[in-house]
Amino acid sequence: MPTPLQLDRRAVLKGLAGVTLALPLLEAMGKEVAAKTPRRFCAMYTANGMSLPNPKHGIDEWSWFPKTEGRAFEFGKSTEPLKAFREKLSFLGGLHHPNGPKADPHLCSDMWLTGAPLHNPKPGMFNSVALDQVVAQNTKQFCRQPSLVLSIDAGVGFLSRTGTISYNLEGKPIPAENNPRRVFDRLFRGDRASLATQREQLQRRIKLVDAVLESSKALNKQLGQSDREKMDQYLTSLDEIEARLTASEKWIDIPLKTQDYSHLNLDATNEGEPAEYYRNMFDLIALAFDADITRSVAFMLNREDGMGISDTFPLKLGLTRTHHNLSHAEDKDGQLEFAKYDLFLSEQIAHFLKRLEDYKDNAGSVLDNTIVLFGSGASTTHYPKNLPTLIAGGSNMGLKHGTFWRGNELRMSNVFLSILRSMKIEEGSFSDSTGTVGGSIFSAS
Amino acid sequence: MRLIVLAKWNRALALLSVMLFLQVGLSERSTSDETLGKMAAAEEAAFKGQVQPLLQKFCVRCHNADNLESGIRVDHLTTALEDRELPLWKGILKQVADGDMPPADEPQPTAEQRKSLTEWITRAMKVARSRPTPKNGSVRRLTVAQYRNTLRDLLGLQEDLTDALPPDGISKDGFANNGQTLLLSPLQVETYFDIAEKALELCIVDENSKPVIQNFRMDFGAAINPQPCPDNLVLGANNALLNNADFVVTELKPSKPFDHLPFAMKTKHEFIEGYVGNDTIRAWKKFDSIYHSVFACVRGTPGYPKGEAHQVIPSGLLLRPAIPSPEIFGQSNTYGPMANFKISLRELPDQGNFRVTVKAARYDEGELDQSGTAFAKRSPSLGVYIGLRRDCGSTLTPVAKPQAVTNTELQDFIFEGAINDFPTPDVEKDNVNYLAGIREIGVRSEYTDGRDMPRLLIRSVEFEGPFYDSWPPATHRSIFIDSPHKNDPATYAREIIRSFATRAFRRPITAAELEPIFGVWKNSFAEKGNFRQSIKDALLVVLTSPQFLFLIENSSTPAAEDLDPYELASKLSYFLWNGPPDQRLLDLAAKNTLHQSLDAELERMIRDPRFGQFISEFTSQWLSLDKFDVVAVDAQRYPKLTRDTKTQLRQEPIQFLRYLIEQNLSLRNVVQSDLLVVNEVTASYYNLADRTESGFRFVPIKHENENLGGVLTQAGILAGLSDGRESNPIKRGAWLARKIIAEPPDDPPPNVPQLKEDDGVKLTLREKLERHRNQKGCAKCHSGIDPWGIPFETFDAGGLFKKDPGVDAHSILPDKAEIKNLIGLKAYLANDHIDQVAFSFLKHAACYAVGRSLTYNELVFLQEQSVPLKAHDYRMQELLRFVITSDIFLKK
Repeated sequence: MPTPLQLDRRAVLKGLAGVTLALPLLEAMGKEVAAKTPRRFCAMYTANGMSLPNPKHGIDEWSWFPKTEGRAFEFGKSTEPLKAFREKLSFLGGLHHPNGPKADPHLCSDMWLTGAPLHNPKPGMFNSVALDQVVAQNTKQFCRQPSLVLSIDAGVGFLSRTGTISYNLEGKPIPAENNPRRVFDRLFRGDRASLATQREQLQRRIKLVDAVLESSKALNKQLGQSDREKMDQYLTSLDEIEARLTASEKWIDIPLKTQDYSHLNLDATNEGEPAEYYRNMFDLIALAFDADITRSVAFMLNREDGMGISDTFPLKLGLTRTHHNLSHAEDKDGQLEFAKYDLFLSEQIAHFLKRLEDYKDNAGSVLDNTIVLFGSGASTTHYPKNLPTLIAGGSNMGLKHGTFWRGNELRMSNVFLSILRSMKIEEGSFSDSTGTVGGSIFSAS
Repeated sequence: MRLIVLAKWNRALALLSVMLFLQVGLSERSTSDETLGKMAAAEEAAFKGQVQPLLQKFCVRCHNADNLESGIRVDHLTTALEDRELPLWKGILKQVADGDMPPADEPQPTAEQRKSLTEWITRAMKVARSRPTPKNGSVRRLTVAQYRNTLRDLLGLQEDLTDALPPDGISKDGFANNGQTLLLSPLQVETYFDIAEKALELCIVDENSKPVIQNFRMDFGAAINPQPCPDNLVLGANNALLNNADFVVTELKPSKPFDHLPFAMKTKHEFIEGYVGNDTIRAWKKFDSIYHSVFACVRGTPGYPKGEAHQVIPSGLLLRPAIPSPEIFGQSNTYGPMANFKISLRELPDQGNFRVTVKAARYDEGELDQSGTAFAKRSPSLGVYIGLRRDCGSTLTPVAKPQAVTNTELQDFIFEGAINDFPTPDVEKDNVNYLAGIREIGVRSEYTDGRDMPRLLIRSVEFEGPFYDSWPPATHRSIFIDSPHKNDPATYAREIIRSFATRAFRRPITAAELEPIFGVWKNSFAEKGNFRQSIKDALLVVLTSPQFLFLIENSSTPAAEDLDPYELASKLSYFLWNGPPDQRLLDLAAKNTLHQSLDAELERMIRDPRFGQFISEFTSQWLSLDKFDVVAVDAQRYPKLTRDTKTQLRQEPIQFLRYLIEQNLSLRNVVQSDLLVVNEVTASYYNLADRTESGFRFVPIKHENENLGGVLTQAGILAGLSDGRESNPIKRGAWLARKIIAEPPDDPPPNVPQLKEDDGVKLTLREKLERHRNQKGCAKCHSGIDPWGIPFETFDAGGLFKKDPGVDAHSILPDKAEIKNLIGLKAYLANDHIDQVAFSFLKHAACYAVGRSLTYNELVFLQEQSVPLKAHDYRMQELLRFVITSDIFLKK
């Protein structure tokens, strides 16, 4: 069967290096990709923890964590909107990052998805790679965009009050996007100018890689008896790079899946109605998953410590205090209001899960093929243990749902490693993980 | 008795393991000439007729594939006597000849049988050893450190672009430059492309543009500012800012011999988020003053123990040493050290080099400063840092080394770096938070060990960046060389490529190599007509070519060949400088006189500052200093072993070895020495604080303490070989066996359980080790480890003498020698066994020099041929000379 590749170079290379070269990326493109069911990941962060009311106020039913552990758990009032997805989600308790209590508590959003020792930054490296970026590294060859990084506020915030939960391999923050229209234009209407530049850069790089290959060939001929193993490695690498670049260039031409965008309101902004804003952001993520534009998404729903516009959302919703202030509330009214804000967030998450459930992959729904992680870096008011964690979807990746599972001071990174393994990403470890989470909702080990 | 035998076997085995690592592949290609062939045929017959039956009868029952007594099997041995099997044969020979094997309670061969066995082995080994090992040159890529040094030398670029490269693997010998472990992945090659692209982008400028230069100075002095900022400045919780009147900021226009544009810092700001006290406030607010762009800040841990941490006087700002803040979880706390002065500012250049000039003096402390006192001999050290403001953890990164400020007259102290080697804010320019992305220029009087010292007087701090001496800068001019053909693009391009590639390839570029690269230029130029861009394209190909990325020794036959002069130049420089050859080495290569100049070149290269790159790399890997980097010290038990102290102690073995080599002292000092090479910090750690006033500079001192001296008792080594809590004789023993006497133990077999805690019974460490040693599967290795580790027991996990008379450190070494403690072990090594230490050094140095593991023959060569060096007391430079003049180094 003919492949779209330039076979002549492969033939030359094969003769030259004496090895057969695999071209996994190209083979994975197009039809074959569609034939395989994607594995996706979506992380959603909410700042300042959840409402866990003081028992003395007598409003335990407003606690974010369910009352009973195990399969018999009961939704609290603030998570009731999620009831419809009971068999497709689980609550996880007893988790934390061991580095959390060591650092300033306001840094919990910086480390939520990385687990990094922020109290002890390595020179030049102030965070470490976030889970969504490890996923992206391993799924980028199958889709157009390695990842989509979103936040309530655009940009990165600043060190120790991050505005993004996503950090790249070098531990640098990845600027988030927050405007639905810009996100839409970029994902679904690749603008001509940037595509042209992108293509031009790719083509230039391909030419240069080619030239290096040519000049290396000349050298290889001169090497006589010398050990050629290293040269072979080098030539093989060059060829694979070229294949990757060619693959990237090809994506530019492959048409997008036809989708219905009529429900989107691209004029929604974070300055307007909070529900309307979140709904549109979630709809965009769902569309991006459905069209297989990306398989890794990180979305910071609101900011830690009263930063950013989201601090005012409770006020816009008719509550009486800002988000950060609510999280500090000791009184009954305040803790109840805090829970009502949790309820609002649950409604948004429920909408998102519904969307994912409605879109279908070749096997199961998009939700079945997406691990959705929702949680916070503090259980309530800067307390960096027992992190509220909800995991939904991913049943096609072996996740067994419908339970409230509690770990005992368990490392969040172990849960993250379990997520990776469920996605068949065979990393040895993640951050400070010590293993996977056996006996929990994950089947993969 | 049994124990000693085992130890000997282990020695043999250890060699074997080295061999195994390398020899796969080579041995198959072994050739032999006709004579050897005939001899081999005769031995083959003898083996079948006599030797094999004897082995079968007396040895195989205990030494076979299923029953590997002492880890040895002999059932598979053939007449091939492959290189990797030679150590085993040597061991068998010794055991049989000495009558140690078979054991006394087993059936014994007759004297006749013994004789025929030993004679055959002796003959066969001779045949095997005279068999030529094929030498087929080598192709190994530069290590990350070598690549970094090479790129910097070639381009004159200060900025380090190599962060994105994955770290190199470490070979079994402990070195990162072993060709077998230097792998290459597509990701890595892709990174080479990215780095090359970025590097050329930074080096090459638009000659016709004018650089924009940021230049300002902050002056200090009580009430120096006649028009101070009227606003109450706030820089987050616990901000400690100098009085607005006590500093003044001036934007300058540097005098430069070329046209440029001054950069004016933004003074008008609008923010929506900020702090009042500890609360976030949210309201748009406008600011208009340079003092909302540049602050003078002393945010640091409060509670300076003696006097004020800082003070502003009419002539400037006085600083006391910046005492590291108490550590939490081993880390400096949130606000950084006490007396943590810094200039906080919103804008710094986003690329290029910068220069910070501090006008400073040693403050005259009057009465305290009586001449002749220790106090009067002291001087503060000035350190400059660049970092980022944030709430947690320190991001201040030192710019170069601290400089001693010895004069009471004000002087300029210059610190230079590349701005992108320092934390960058990664914050978008229009961020609306008052505190977002604030940069910091830290200025400190450096703390050594808390001794009283004169204060540091800072008069002013000036910043200039990007810093250029000339325009276009040197990085640009070294690529776009002078030429009469500047107006003829094709000719000029060819000249540029030839000149650049010749430097990059570390030898003249051949015509065949030049053409395809010129072709890249030609196509690119034809397509875009942009000369600069087309040169970039061509040079990017050079920077990603194997000739640049690899060290290539080209071989045309399996016979040993001489290195060509350019290969030799590179081999020398990547050995002794961990970087590319300089012009002199290349000139000698061009004249083909480098081989004759090795002696002189060795001496010159040792004197060169680049020798520091070798000594640091080699010492770290030879002595496994990386273990000290990662050990988590129990701060409760070892409060003196702080992060900053660790940094200095980490340098001690390196500085020590450097001193021994530079002074050409005896290798004996490595194991036993009456001198220490210390600075104030490390001397103080060893309770010798009164011996030096050298600041951070390492200087030799005599110590008169028999527990000190040599690498065995350096804290960085000993603490690295612990778990940060308890001393660990096994780690230390294995380290000594491996690194100091080159008798590496085998790797632990899989699934070995950890040493069990007590089982209810309190065991001494010695008992625990014995119990462990008696466990099946552990004994054979531990008998070659523990005896070396026990003597170290007099030193704690912090690397200091325990002063506990109850410590039992006596040990019976594998050769039955009995020693009392580490002093005894040092004497044992320095006197009777210095040959072995010399062999170990040579083995490690040669292995590092050639970037591969050594063959059996090469190890034997080192052992046998190095004997004459003893006559001169194994002087360090002679050892290095021995390595670079040996065939191991000179043949390919």
